[in-house]
Amino acid sequence: MRPIRVGVIGAGAAAEGIHLPALARTSGVETVAIADPSADRLEYVADKFKVPARYRSHQDVIPHIDAAIVGIPHQYHAPVTIDLLRAGVHVLVEKPMALSTAECDAMIRASESSGARLAVGLLRRFAPTLRYTKQVLESGMLGPIRSFDVREGMIFRWPVKSAAMFSPQCGGVLADIGTHVIDLLLWWFGDVAGLDYRDDAAGGVEADAVLKVEMAGGITGRVELSRTRDLRNSCIIRGERGTIEVGTKTDSIVTLTPVHGDASLSGRAVLPGQQPPGNLGDLFAWQMADFVRAIQTHSAPAVTGTEARRSVAVLESCYRRRQRLVFPFETLLDAAASEKAS
Amino acid sequence: MTPLSNAKVLVTGATGFIGGRLAERLIVEHGARVRALVRNFGRAARLARFPIELVQGDLCSPESIERAVEGCDYVFHCAYGSDGQDEARRVVNAQGTRHVLDAALKHRVRRVVHTSTVTVYGNTPDGPLDESAPRRKTGFAYGDSKIEAEETALGYVGRGLSVAVVQPTVVYGPFGTTFTIKPLQLLKSGRVILVNGGDGLANLVYVDDVVSGMILAALVEGAHGEAFILSGSEPTTWRAFYAAHESMLGRSATVSMTPEEALKHFHGSDGARAGMVSQLMKAIRHPGVRKRIAETREGQLAIRAFHRLPAGLRARISGPGVSLPGANTTATDMAPAIHPLHPSKIAFMTAKTHARIDKARRVLGFAPQFDFTRGIDLTAAWAEWANLL
Repeated sequence: MRPIRVGVIGAGAAAEGIHLPALARTSGVETVAIADPSADRLEYVADKFKVPARYRSHQDVIPHIDAAIVGIPHQYHAPVTIDLLRAGVHVLVEKPMALSTAECDAMIRASESSGARLAVGLLRRFAPTLRYTKQVLESGMLGPIRSFDVREGMIFRWPVKSAAMFSPQCGGVLADIGTHVIDLLLWWFGDVAGLDYRDDAAGGVEADAVLKVEMAGGITGRVELSRTRDLRNSCIIRGERGTIEVGTKTDSIVTLTPVHGDASLSGRAVLPGQQPPGNLGDLFAWQMADFVRAIQTHSAPAVTGTEARRSVAVLESCYRRRQRLVFPFETLLDAAASEKAS
Repeated sequence: MTPLSNAKVLVTGATGFIGGRLAERLIVEHGARVRALVRNFGRAARLARFPIELVQGDLCSPESIERAVEGCDYVFHCAYGSDGQDEARRVVNAQGTRHVLDAALKHRVRRVVHTSTVTVYGNTPDGPLDESAPRRKTGFAYGDSKIEAEETALGYVGRGLSVAVVQPTVVYGPFGTTFTIKPLQLLKSGRVILVNGGDGLANLVYVDDVVSGMILAALVEGAHGEAFILSGSEPTTWRAFYAAHESMLGRSATVSMTPEEALKHFHGSDGARAGMVSQLMKAIRHPGVRKRIAETREGQLAIRAFHRLPAGLRARISGPGVSLPGANTTATDMAPAIHPLHPSKIAFMTAKTHARIDKARRVLGFAPQFDFTRGIDLTAAWAEWANLL
């Protein structure tokens, strides 16, 4: 079979740290081109991964490729992906799929009309421990589920290469990490029925956010997200017969505790025929392999546009109902100032 | 409306503790148009919450500094060399300051506020300290290079640039590293030495008071060419400072030593050694690392072998302040290690110096709003929120 010619759109930290290494580990593909408006980044990343063709615009890449990996600031996901899909190029776009459901709908339509595959980089769906958690929940082992509590935060150290990620159109910690968490909740528990959302943006993008949510099945939960704090990075799910705590990071541990028990079972989940992921790179490689499989077999990728649209809908709803997050350590000065700013 | 409303203001070091809070308050309280000089965008998450211009630059690159300064009415220079070896940090402090001031002179900036430190006064004697005291080198890179930087800054006064210098004392508060996060980490991971039981004076100042003083230093006419110590209303003792942090953590983890004992402890521990060995020793001393090593097969064998040695030899290997776990015990059973106190800190914690803020009060109208109780309450609330307790 002729290798799929892949173009990488965006030469930022995601391309360099994630997608190009994943492509290098994937069979059946050939990375032929890369595009980025920054000449310095373009040359640096292309040289590092020996990508032959370099372009300043994604438009110029289109004639040379069958598929594209889109890793650019969030606000450009929709327009760029639509251009690619309309030209018949298969797309794996980073999460969040877009920043509005209207954009998602246009992306899905573009995919349907040209027949090009649209996959979304909701990577956590590939993590064995998080899949295992879904299976435990569905099996009824924990009895009816009552509530959940997610805390995910890391003092932001992502090696961003420009200020683009912090532009107000891009969204903050909710759009970034929150999309992953919301996707897990939708995947595990079904749709969202109601929410209360607060964050600390004051004319820019939020670094801390607290979401209280009620799922359609009546399960209630709380999500705390942060770029300024190192949090426990796990989700605790409480059922009538027991509790499951699962790390939300890649190589995470899952812990099962019966409701009246004083002992827990703790470990990693494995999928048949696979080793547990050693690092984030393994998950990205699995995601890439799934994208390639979808193209080669003319079938749906693991995370379709329609599926990813669900988390964008919640994101959109959060931002629409946003209230100011009050910090426990703030002074009257902060309160007055933040009111003014927002 | 304040004179800073709509003024274009450059803050260097805005991804740091003091510069970060300054940038926030310039935007939300004063309506200033703030430009932040950022070396590493990855550290800008807090700043990005506000409408702010983030420009990439490095104190060591005069071109990037000049681009950042161009068009600004005021410059707050808060950046300092915080990583790398002493020499690299000295270059950032001294040359970096020169680059900022050269650009400010060229672009006719109205006022530069240079952030210095009370450390420029060196090992201060007991009693009152004010700005008339001599700057004294101590042989340690941070303080010595800050003297150089301060001299550089004040050297521009005669050349037509308006410069004011602020000398904050011990700055603490939300997001503070050296005097907020670090003390909590030290108390959590071992025991902290209180020199003479913590009798020395801690000239503490809450971050918001420092920021208020800096803004006054930018606006008050008479601040030109002057340096101002910025401290809280009254000093407290180091004992009270650490007691407040112990109470946040709900654990006692201080140990009293005389200055001589503290120095001896330092030289008997890894602090005195340099290079990789010291880093490895430091890592091994970390309770989590020791626990892991102790739990390996080889670790258990070594511990058993150690316990078969004659008692006298065992004591010699262990040495003062170093204990090896018994067989089948874990790190959690051991008395926490005592963190070595660097000699520069021993003098700093011994002195009963009272940093006076009379000049800042008189000239700037500086009036600290946060006494120790209020400041530490806010800090505790932040530390809990930040998952540090």
